[in-house]
Amino acid sequence: MDKVDKIPAIKLTGLKKRYGTGDAAVDALKGVDMIVWPGEVVGLIGPSGSGKSTLLKCLGAVIEPTSGHMELAGETIYDDGWKIPDLRALRRDRIGFVFQAPYLIPFLDVTDNVALLPMLAGVDNAAARKRALELLTALDVAHRAGAQVSQLSGGEQQRVAIARSLANHAPIILADEPTAPLDSERALAVVHILNEMAVQFQTAIIVVTHDEKIIPTFKRIYQIRDGKTHEEAGEGRAI
Amino acid sequence: MINLATRDILHGWGRFLFTGVGLGLLIGVTLSMAGIFRGMVDDAQVLIDNSGADIWVVQQGTLGPYAEPSSIRDDAWRGIAGMPGVAETGNAAYLTIQMSHAGKESRVMIVGMDVDRPGRPGAPGYLTAGRPVLQGHYEAIADERAGLHLGERVRLRRHEYTVVGLTRRMVSSSGDPMIFVALKDAQEIQFLKDNDALVNERARTAANPAFNRPGIPGLLEAAQAGAAQSRNVNTVLVRLAPGANPDVVAGEIQRWKRLTAYTRAQMEEILVAKLIATSAKQIGMFLVILSVVTAAIVAFIIYTMTMAKVREIAVLKLIGAKNRTIATMILQQALGLGLIGFMVGRVAAGLWAPVFPKYVLLLPGDAIGGFFILMVISALASVVAIRAALAIDPAEAIGG
Repeated sequence: MDKVDKIPAIKLTGLKKRYGTGDAAVDALKGVDMIVWPGEVVGLIGPSGSGKSTLLKCLGAVIEPTSGHMELAGETIYDDGWKIPDLRALRRDRIGFVFQAPYLIPFLDVTDNVALLPMLAGVDNAAARKRALELLTALDVAHRAGAQVSQLSGGEQQRVAIARSLANHAPIILADEPTAPLDSERALAVVHILNEMAVQFQTAIIVVTHDEKIIPTFKRIYQIRDGKTHEEAGEGRAI
Repeated sequence: MINLATRDILHGWGRFLFTGVGLGLLIGVTLSMAGIFRGMVDDAQVLIDNSGADIWVVQQGTLGPYAEPSSIRDDAWRGIAGMPGVAETGNAAYLTIQMSHAGKESRVMIVGMDVDRPGRPGAPGYLTAGRPVLQGHYEAIADERAGLHLGERVRLRRHEYTVVGLTRRMVSSSGDPMIFVALKDAQEIQFLKDNDALVNERARTAANPAFNRPGIPGLLEAAQAGAAQSRNVNTVLVRLAPGANPDVVAGEIQRWKRLTAYTRAQMEEILVAKLIATSAKQIGMFLVILSVVTAAIVAFIIYTMTMAKVREIAVLKLIGAKNRTIATMILQQALGLGLIGFMVGRVAAGLWAPVFPKYVLLLPGDAIGGFFILMVISALASVVAIRAALAIDPAEAIGG
């Protein structure tokens, strides 16, 4: 199917974000345009202070943009104001998050760390754990399902975090520097997994990164500079 | 939905339990303070119950015999015994002295009682060993807490007494164990001076021209004999006939005998509301302070535990956990801490209560009440942590 026939997973038009007012006002985003398609992994790169985190927080419905238009899977969620009343439910059901550090819940075992998300959405415990095990199997960490978080390696923890982000069938995953703490081999492995998951679950994944090791793997890259995005073709190097 | 509070507690159970034990010791102190107050009230109640009296007749205008000194003649009972509604009377003398026994000093309350026939008011209600006082002199019945044994001889002021019986929970309103002796013995202990004082007093009386008048033989001897003995008691205990109204009988005694008579209800009021009122307020203040300290400690612990999980809470909020889920987790942890603290405190209070020199009465009702108060304190103490947790920005989970 051609992209023309698809509904974009993410579509941003003229998205702006201003912090503060008056003389102290800072325009972090000055009209961002972006399209990400289902099953696609897109890189978002830029120097520190360029607005990457602000854009990620707007996409994650954690902070409110100042103006612009934002669609998720064809539904307008922001148009000069939030169009969704329950942003918490939006984050829980439609957006997956992968962080720089895995930020797993240390007092839950691996399975429940993944199953927690469906449980929060009201899925019963047994079904949530079944879903968690499926994802852990897909990410090749099912053998650590009963382990405590502290017993996992860094790479394993990041895979569990990816499994958690997929647990509610979210059409979008926002990954914030997911390979920063990992060595080259493990970093590339994580990107490989993200690519696989994107294809397997038709999830759109935006990866914010500074990591020179993984930038050549993206087919499409958004460079953000001074609050504006510039689309570039990536190398799409095979992993 | 899994219980996040339980999982968090189980994950760091050692630290949580250790904190709970520390809190429990504080709660144990709080429960003990309440137990000390209950013990004081119970001591007063026991004192009233053990006297076997329905009415206490004392010196006019006094709150005797326990709260104030009272002195009435030891034959006052005769007139009272014949009044309508009175079934039995008994003289009683009370005094607290320092007793030296087995190399240890202790305070005891000496109770002088009529021993001419058993069952008179004032005698101990029951014996745990031995027999009643049968002889008119130098026999005693001791409360077990006095540390005396059957057949043992103990010195009380000028004379030695043989312990012929033991009893239990016979204490003064201050919790001092009682030693029961014959009334005459108690009067001697209370009023008889030592030999040097007697010699001095006799010389002083002989030098007084009012008592040593020429031409009146026998006056000096009579005056000196009167000074050497006492015919006073502290109270006459009255037991009522069945169906007699205590207020009516007390009123009649006051009216005709020019003495003050207290009913059981009035004596309870004197002992509980007046005699231990200051101590009760003191303990009440301690309980308030301890409750505030407990609340502050629970609040501090829960706040610290919550702030140690800022990142986890931010992640939970970011992935869609409701505020209610996070608040419930913190509240449950506060209540769990309170529960552990209560259990440890109750056990600790029960273990150290017998070591206290005064009677500590731990009532189940107080424990249940204390438990609910602690749960409320724990819940209120968690509010600070809950407010802090709800203020955590989910954006903190995203770097930058």
